[in-house]
Amino acid sequence: MPVIKNEYQGRKPDEFRILLGLEGHSNARNIQTYIEKGNGYKALEKVLKGGMSPEDVINTVKASGLRGRGGAGFPTGLKWSFVPKGPGEKYLITNFDEGEPGTYKDCYISEVTPHSLVEGKIIASYAIGAQKSYIYIRGEFHNEIRWCAEAIKEAYAAGYLGENIMGSGFTHHMDVYSGAGAYICGEETGLISSLEGKKGQPKLKPPFPAVKGYLGKPTVVNNVESLAVVPWIIHNGPEAYKKFGTEKSPGTKLFNVSGPIARPGCYELPLGYPLMRFINEDCGGLIGGKKLKAIIPGGSSAPALTAKECENLTLDYESIAGAGSMLGSGAIIVIPEDVSMVSVLENLMDFYAHESCGQCTPCREGTGWLYKISKHILKGKGTKTDMDRMYSIANNMRGKTICVLSDAAADPARAIVTKFAHEFEPYLKG
Amino acid sequence: MPVFSPELIKIIEGFLNRYETKRSSILPILHAIQDEKDWISDEDVDTLEKSFGLSAVDVREVLTFYTMYRQQPPKPYRFEVCKSISCWLMGANDTIKTLRLEIEKAEKEGRPLPFEIHGVECLGQCGYAPSTLINKDRHNNVTSEKALQLLKEYSAKELPNAAVHCAAALAAKANK
Repeated sequence: MPVIKNEYQGRKPDEFRILLGLEGHSNARNIQTYIEKGNGYKALEKVLKGGMSPEDVINTVKASGLRGRGGAGFPTGLKWSFVPKGPGEKYLITNFDEGEPGTYKDCYISEVTPHSLVEGKIIASYAIGAQKSYIYIRGEFHNEIRWCAEAIKEAYAAGYLGENIMGSGFTHHMDVYSGAGAYICGEETGLISSLEGKKGQPKLKPPFPAVKGYLGKPTVVNNVESLAVVPWIIHNGPEAYKKFGTEKSPGTKLFNVSGPIARPGCYELPLGYPLMRFINEDCGGLIGGKKLKAIIPGGSSAPALTAKECENLTLDYESIAGAGSMLGSGAIIVIPEDVSMVSVLENLMDFYAHESCGQCTPCREGTGWLYKISKHILKGKGTKTDMDRMYSIANNMRGKTICVLSDAAADPARAIVTKFAHEFEPYLKG
Repeated sequence: MPVFSPELIKIIEGFLNRYETKRSSILPILHAIQDEKDWISDEDVDTLEKSFGLSAVDVREVLTFYTMYRQQPPKPYRFEVCKSISCWLMGANDTIKTLRLEIEKAEKEGRPLPFEIHGVECLGQCGYAPSTLINKDRHNNVTSEKALQLLKEYSAKELPNAAVHCAAALAAKANK
C-alpha cells in the first residue's frame, strides 16, 4: 500500500495521517498498539472521565465540520443532533456495507485501525444516548467481519464496552452483523430493514431514522470513516481538524483509486487536494503512459467527468459538485483513452439493473431498460432513437423513487450519453 | 441424518437470543446453515419454522432476496470474479472467460473440476483488480494466468467440510 507523499501547503506527509496513523505497523489491529501508538481510547477517556456531556460531544463534532464520508456528505454532528433527547431505546449503526464500485476504504480502515471505529462508535453512542450499536458489514467481507469482531472483543476485555464504562455510568454494547450480498443495503433504511431480518428494501422518508429507525426506535446510521475519525477530533479538538482541508470541506478523507493506474490504493488526503496532481504524481499516472479519457470521481454513481473537465478540479465536495458530479465515497476510477464509453455505460448499467431492489417501478424498469438499450447499442443494433430513449428514461428515473439508487443509475447514464455522444455514433445504425 | 448437527443447533439458538427480535437472527442463521451444509434446502426452512419458531415466509423472504444464499446444492468451490467497473477495466472478463473455458475443457476430457464460475458485482477490492473470492478466501489481482494457477491449487486440496457434508446428504437422500 503506497504512503502519502506530498508537500501540500508546505506540510510534511505525516501530518496528513489522521486516520491511517497506524498504517504499516506490524500489529496495527491489536488494541495495545492502538493504545500505545495511536493515542487509543484517550478520546473516550476525555469524554467519559473529563466531564464532557453528550451535547459537548455533538457540538465538538459539529464545530469540526465533519461531513458524512459514505457519499452524501451530510454534516455528522447535525445528524446526531436530530435524535430526540431523553431516555429510551436508541441505536447507532455503522454502515459497513461498502459496495459502491470503486470504493474500498472502509475495509482498509478495518484492516489498519479497527479500534478507531470501535472507539468512535462508543463516543457517538454516548452522544446520542444509544445503549446498543451494530456494525453492519457486507457478507462478502469475511476478513473484515473477523477483524471487527476481534476488536469488539478486545474492547470488552479492556473495559471500554459493557456495563458502566470507566465508572461513568454509561453502558454500551456492540455487535457485528453480516449482510448477505445486496448493494441496496448500503442505503440506510435498506440497511435497517436488513438488520431487522427482512429483505433490504429502503423505507419511505420521513420519518427519518433519527426519529424512527431500527425497530421503530431513533437510530443513527453512520459510515465507517465518519465514525473512525471521531476519536481524533475529540482528542485533538475541532480546530486542529479544520487545519486540514478547505473551509466548507474540512479535514482529511480517504480516497481510493482504481482502474489502470500505476499505484492504485487507499490514500488519506486533505480535502481540497488537486485531483490531477494526485492522479499523475501520487498515483503515478495511468499504466503504460496511456492518455486519460475520463474520471469517475466518487464511486460508480458519480457522473463521469471528461479529462478536460478534471484539469483544475480539487478533491472536495464543492469543487466536484461544481463540475456536475459528486465526491461521493471518494472512489476515483480512471478510464483510459482506449476504452469505449459505450461499453463503460453497459458495464455500469448492468450493475444497477442487477442491484435495483425492485420496489419502485421507475428504478426497477428504468435500470433494466438502460442496461438493455446500452447492450443493444454495443452490439451495433441501436439507432439514433435509442439515444433519445435512454436520455428520456434517465430523466424519468430521477427523484421519483423511495431511495437514490435510481438517480445513481440515471445520472451517470445521462452524463455518458451527453458528454460522449460522439462515441456512440459509430455503433448506431442510423 | 438429522437436519442440523448438535453444533449447528447450538449456533442457531445463540443467534435466536442475540438480537432484539428473533427475526433479526434469520440472516446469521442462514449463513450458519450454509457454513455447515453448503446450501439451504426446503427441509432446512421447514425445520427453522417447526423447531425454532421462525416463520417460513420470513425466512424465504431473506433466502430469495440476498444473492449469497444458495438454494441449490452447489459444487464444492464457488469461484466468484468481480465484473464491476474497476475489475472490468483491469480485465475481469478475460479472467472469467479463461476460467469457463478451462472448466469446459476439463469436463470434455472427463476430469470435471469441483468449481462453479460466477461473474459477480463489486467485491470492494477495486484497487487490487481483478478481485475474486473462492468460497471465503479472497484472492486479488487475479489475471487469467493466476486464475488457472488457483484452479490447480484448489483442485489439489482436500474438499471443504461443507462440500463433503453436502455430498453425503445428497447421497443419503438418493438411497432412500
